[in-house]
Amino acid sequence: MSSESPAVILESVSKWYGEVIGINDISLAIDGGVTGVLGPNGAGKSTMFKLLLGRLKPNQGSVRLFGTDPWESTAPFRRVGYVSETEPLYEWMTGLDFVSTMARLHGMTREEAIDRAEHVLDFVGLTDVRHKEVGKYSKGMRQRIKIAHALVHDPDLIILDEPLHGCDPLARTSIMSVIRELGNRGKTVIVSSHILEEIERITEQIVILHNGRLLALGNLHAIRGLLDKHPHRILIETESPRELAKALISREPVYGVRFPDQGYLEIQTSNLSAAHSILPQVIVDSGVKVRSVENPDDNLESLLGYLVGGG
Amino acid sequence: MDSQGRGLSESVWTSLDRKAGAVIELTVRQLRNKISTWVVMALGALLMTLLLVFYIDAIRDGFESIDNDGDSFDEDNDGYPMGQERKYGTSDWDGESFPGSGNFIFEGQIDWNAPDRSISGNKTWEGSAILEATWIDYDYSGGRWSNIIDWDDGNVGQCQDGDPFDDWWPDYASACMQEDGTYVVSGKLKASGNLFVPEGQYLSWGFFTQEFFVEPDPPEMYIDEDGIDWDGSGGSQGIDDDGDCLRVGWPAQAEGEMWWEDPHNPDSNRNGVSCDVVWIINPNTGEVVSINGDDLVDEDPVDADYAGESSHRAFVIASGKVAFVLLLGLFLPLFLALGLVRDETERGTLHYLLSKPIHRGEFITYRVLGYLAVVSTYVIALSLLMALITSLIGPGDELIRFGDFPVWVGIATATILVLAAYGSLFNTIGLVMPKYGVYLCIIIGVWEFAMGFTSIISPNSPVTFLSISHWGLQIIDATVLATWPDTLQYSQMSSAFGLETGLEWIWRPPVHTLGTGNPYLSIATSVTFLSFVSLILISIGSSIFQRKEIM
Amino acid sequence: MSDELDIAGGVTRMESAFGSGDGDQDAQATVAQKAEIKGAIFEQSYRPWRGKLGPRWVRNYSIYRHHVYGLFTSKGHRHYPIMVRLTILGIFLFSLSPVAMLFLASMGGNGDFGEILSRLWGINRYNLWGQVLGFFPRNMCMWPLLTALVVGGMISDDRSNGTSAIYFSRPVNRIDYTAMKFLSSAVVLGFVIVFSYILYYTGAIVFRGEGWAFLIDTFPMFIGGLIAGILLVLTYTSIGLALSSISQSRFFAGVAFLATIYGTKMVAFLIESQFDSSILYIFSPYDVLAHIGQWLLGIESNYDHSLAFSVVSLLLMNGISIALLASRVSSLEVTRE
Repeated sequence: MSSESPAVILESVSKWYGEVIGINDISLAIDGGVTGVLGPNGAGKSTMFKLLLGRLKPNQGSVRLFGTDPWESTAPFRRVGYVSETEPLYEWMTGLDFVSTMARLHGMTREEAIDRAEHVLDFVGLTDVRHKEVGKYSKGMRQRIKIAHALVHDPDLIILDEPLHGCDPLARTSIMSVIRELGNRGKTVIVSSHILEEIERITEQIVILHNGRLLALGNLHAIRGLLDKHPHRILIETESPRELAKALISREPVYGVRFPDQGYLEIQTSNLSAAHSILPQVIVDSGVKVRSVENPDDNLESLLGYLVGGG
Repeated sequence: MDSQGRGLSESVWTSLDRKAGAVIELTVRQLRNKISTWVVMALGALLMTLLLVFYIDAIRDGFESIDNDGDSFDEDNDGYPMGQERKYGTSDWDGESFPGSGNFIFEGQIDWNAPDRSISGNKTWEGSAILEATWIDYDYSGGRWSNIIDWDDGNVGQCQDGDPFDDWWPDYASACMQEDGTYVVSGKLKASGNLFVPEGQYLSWGFFTQEFFVEPDPPEMYIDEDGIDWDGSGGSQGIDDDGDCLRVGWPAQAEGEMWWEDPHNPDSNRNGVSCDVVWIINPNTGEVVSINGDDLVDEDPVDADYAGESSHRAFVIASGKVAFVLLLGLFLPLFLALGLVRDETERGTLHYLLSKPIHRGEFITYRVLGYLAVVSTYVIALSLLMALITSLIGPGDELIRFGDFPVWVGIATATILVLAAYGSLFNTIGLVMPKYGVYLCIIIGVWEFAMGFTSIISPNSPVTFLSISHWGLQIIDATVLATWPDTLQYSQMSSAFGLETGLEWIWRPPVHTLGTGNPYLSIATSVTFLSFVSLILISIGSSIFQRKEIM
Repeated sequence: MSDELDIAGGVTRMESAFGSGDGDQDAQATVAQKAEIKGAIFEQSYRPWRGKLGPRWVRNYSIYRHHVYGLFTSKGHRHYPIMVRLTILGIFLFSLSPVAMLFLASMGGNGDFGEILSRLWGINRYNLWGQVLGFFPRNMCMWPLLTALVVGGMISDDRSNGTSAIYFSRPVNRIDYTAMKFLSSAVVLGFVIVFSYILYYTGAIVFRGEGWAFLIDTFPMFIGGLIAGILLVLTYTSIGLALSSISQSRFFAGVAFLATIYGTKMVAFLIESQFDSSILYIFSPYDVLAHIGQWLLGIESNYDHSLAFSVVSLLLMNGISIALLASRVSSLEVTRE
């Protein structure tokens, strides 16, 4: 067992389903810490995970999990925990049952498995309900039990496919803290999401996928900085947009204004953070009443739009 | 100690073992949590209960008094059983004809073409004529159905106008008086006088022998009266215990009982010896090849000895073949095995199992083993229950028929092997063809049922070899022969002597003995075949599943 | 004119059936927005639908044709998988084999061969009975398989996919839904079972060149067999639909149907052979139908029990099945189960 080799290596991997391309020539390596995989639906996140878990065979390139091809051998799964995006569970099992059964599939004895399961359930905060049937769990509890099952054998690599999808804010927070905690313990954690701010709260290390292509890879802030060079828009709702426009147009980061609608002002800037830092002062100085300030571009879609189209 | 500091006991093998245990246990628990499992199993238990109820009912009625040749019945309700009537040469289909009733002796006739058409005398007449009577026996009176003229105590009516047999015809079994005091008669009558037979009419006459009283035999005398006499060797044997074949010293010889029957032939097997049974024995194996008996020899053996045993065996075999192999063997896998992996794929829970360090091929095997653990326990429990109850209340002197148990073991084995073969077949189909697999499984189910049914009725037809059920049924046939070697004789006797116990068609000698007739060889070939089929199907399933992309 | 878009007067058939094109397309929910910071109350007004609803039979007919036409073309109709279609075709062709034999016989002229063929496959009580009710191969392999494949998914598919909502969100009540499912299943089965029977009878008359006298002689038998065939179709449909309504997948319903037909038959057969009692045949749908069919065609019955048992049993079977079906459909949830 080559414990030195990185947890995940993809080398010019492509996977297509008939005419549809799922993953297009992706090369990357992930090892240590929490990594967020970002991309809209259909970007290829799930395909990448399925390739990693040996459920799909790449059409081109090679996939290595701890140095082993997961399609050929199930051995690396000993060190991998996977939380799928799919909902179904074995509804009739109790939480403890479910987790300990999954542990036994890793080759633990019954006692060992129950011991580990108790431990993990405590970690995800499900100790109280461990004797309740999974079918009666709330959405957040279900997500956490899925995480528990993935952690029960103490894996080195944990893959979470959309773990926050459909959770209420409370569940979101507790799951995020679980993921951060895992990262702090030195595990390699891969989290996918299509919501940027979710990932932002968990990690700084991100991978952005779009249409099966690798768009960006690295530190979120670094990528943001790179993105700052591109034009951004800020939408301000105000009673007198023209007055405010006059005050803003002379300032450094702003290079254009538009009036898209009655009572709205849109400013264009190449440096979003700089623009935001001067904006309050300008508004106060001009004495114009502002109802709201929106950042229509501060979402994944526009980010991707820039990355793909360059503008 | 390996590099990770684990002892040999903690090697790959033990953890493999644990994984297998976990997958099997998971499968068992999954099946236990499906309603359909319980419904199907409850229906199976209900089926067995039903069979047992009928069996217990039949046993309570007893096997004592079956009249295998039917000669204890009194078809015409004259108080004499058929066997006794046969002895006296009277008909059991005619209430007027019974032992001691007197036989009609034919004397002469005027046929349609006879030149002299008048006759006088005191006789018993039958036909159509104009009677000038001096005496008429009004007591010999009947009606339409007995052909005897209804004299109505001498008060017959006036005839119609015109010439009889010319202008009008009398009704059959009737008479009427003409104006000149003569009678126009048609039918049977006893009378003295002159009779004129018109042209184109017919009359015969004769007399009845003296009537005498014969004590009617009790019907029980004609039940179990002619046992099977066989000393175990071949050749001409058989004793006509009740004498109804030899008919030595019988008062009269009857014609056939009914008009379509041939007269009795004491040597109907045409071997030159009257009233015997020819046993043909295979000199190598000592088994009965065929039995060819004369009519009415050894035809009604004591049923407690014979029918009880055959019926018991037939019941055990029939339960094993129809209820266990054909119904449970086919429908348990259809309900339980197809979804073993397919359901997981459809529900989306498969990835829990596939993201574990378990080889996919092993995974399939463990799944099938888990299913087998459930259904085998069930089949073993059911067959044990059936074995205990039937061997406790079955015929015989022993308290428990321990001799039956190997047959039940054979039935359970056959069923489990069939369950394994079907289980791996349906599971593999579900894996290979997720879309059309279900249709194929239904079609295969119909095919297997048809072939199993055909295989029970005619196990030798080669087309049935192409089914799994056929080989399962063969195991039962072979185990029966191995456990009860004389089943062959019982079956032969059943068909040779027309004793309908069901054994003759529910059981046939095993087919796949490679020409030796040895039942153990047949068990071996069938078990090998079924195990081979299961293994091949599982390995096809695993190797396809291994290379399959799971979305 | 294309199959999928059959426009009559600018309105598709679905629209004329359900009225979905008459005003619905420009319906709007008026939502008042008040831009208060603290919250918003949405005043909602619903505009009643004023389109013209197609008559009930038109709506029902469109359900019916959706299920039946799918047998021939899958565009826009209920999907019958290719394997099912092939099986149905195979069964239909095989059930016409006597017609082929009689055709061969008519080609064979006056030779012995033709004579033997037409004697074996010509019209008589037994052949007419056997065309519908013969056990092997028709009621052992063909009709149960056909029913399992056709009826199995009729309701269980809707249950597992939640497609019953498509019906119940329209002006279709549950009686219409059940009745149309029943009718369309029965028509598909009848197409194979009853239609092939009629073809056999007419084929035999045409190929053998029979005259009026023969027709008058055999017509009552034909009618008897026809009634027996219709009874078979109705009974199999109601049992199959009842099983379909309690199952979650078409496979389960199909196998359950086979288990019902074969299981009851085999158990009754087993009991009869071992214990000389034919009474259990009243639990076997096939045998009940065969018994009644024997009476309808004037064949001597080979069952010991009285015909009345079979008649009562047939009524009970249909009654219980339809009651089960009705109660299941009335409690059918309009969601994916």
